[in-house]
Amino acid sequence: MTETDLIEGLRKQSPKAQQETIDRYGREVFALVVRLVAVTENAEEVYQDVFMKVFSNIGQHDAERASLRTWISRIAYNEAISFLRRKRMPVVYFEDRRHEADKLSDAEVDETLGHANAETVLLIRAALKHLPPEERALVTMFYYEERSLKEIADITESIPTTVASRLSRTRKKLCRIIKMLQS
Amino acid sequence: MKEEQLNSLRQQDNALREALRQDEAELPQMPADLNARLMKRMAQEKPVAKTRRLWPWVAAACVAAFIIVNIMPPKASPPAPLAKERGVVTPDTHRAEKPMIAEVEREAAQPAATTKAKKAKARTNVVKHDVALLAQETTATESVTPEVKAEEEAKPELAQAVTQDAKPMTLTERDIPITRPENYKYTPEEIALLKKQADEAYLKWVELELEIAKHHLEQTAQQ
Repeated sequence: MTETDLIEGLRKQSPKAQQETIDRYGREVFALVVRLVAVTENAEEVYQDVFMKVFSNIGQHDAERASLRTWISRIAYNEAISFLRRKRMPVVYFEDRRHEADKLSDAEVDETLGHANAETVLLIRAALKHLPPEERALVTMFYYEERSLKEIADITESIPTTVASRLSRTRKKLCRIIKMLQS
Repeated sequence: MKEEQLNSLRQQDNALREALRQDEAELPQMPADLNARLMKRMAQEKPVAKTRRLWPWVAAACVAAFIIVNIMPPKASPPAPLAKERGVVTPDTHRAEKPMIAEVEREAAQPAATTKAKKAKARTNVVKHDVALLAQETTATESVTPEVKAEEEAKPELAQAVTQDAKPMTLTERDIPITRPENYKYTPEEIALLKKQADEAYLKWVELELEIAKHHLEQTAQQ
């Protein structure tokens, strides 16, 4: 089934198209949600809400603006963020109030994040836990899922240049946290 | 930072990519029955969605009906406030006159009713009436009949007057019949009308008495 057929089937509320959508994008959506929400039970709730919204609001999807995958990811991202805000889940993360991360040179950042030795990987994993959920999701979408800046901008309801600057800042922030953990 | 630069950084940041891959591998896996639960929930929530679509419309319709009932005036009443605003007399003059006429008619009818009650007594006395008295009474009725005719002729004129009154005219405070007690006083025209009607009723009573007397006379003559 092509994406166009799938969208057409979803518009007609076809159970077959709905099942196909869940099978095709379910795992990706769950991963995106659980990355932000963390607790599995909550992630399951958000996951169900995401697909309920997808099936009920399929009429709002504009195929020319974004693919079905991006549109579903956008709903999942927004649902997870609003769940965190609604439930007021305690999130502890590093905040660079003094903007010390900006003082780090690009070469220093490239060297820290480029060497894939076990110790650095462990440090980076620890540093990722100190990032806010939105920034962690941004880094994952770019580095792990290998999405384009435009796609990430569509998901986060932003513009590509903003996403690029946020990514650059997050890299430096990670480097700063690693330095702190090392010291 | 440009997209090309970031794309090249994505390839360079091996440590970061490896860290993310390991993190993703450790994330909790999606439960196998989650999709089945989702489909079940969808099946459950479908009829609820239909009712949700309906009730706002029902509520809106109820509110609209309530507003219409409260704001819109009843169909019969609109002319009254309009007439009051314009200060125009419409059929209200008829209403004011009708009770008066009704009262006069009642008064006129009352002697007739009393005569009926007195009929039994009169029957015994009628025998005593002499022919001369009867003749006098008949002449009286004959003399009255032209008056009655004049009244009948005057009736269309009265009707015309009433219809003229019914035409729109400017109201003054004195013309308001209910709020001003002095308006209950009869005008000379009304008194004249009342007198005429009373006379008419009296004549009818006399005619009736005469008929009764004649009837009794005939009966006694036969005997």
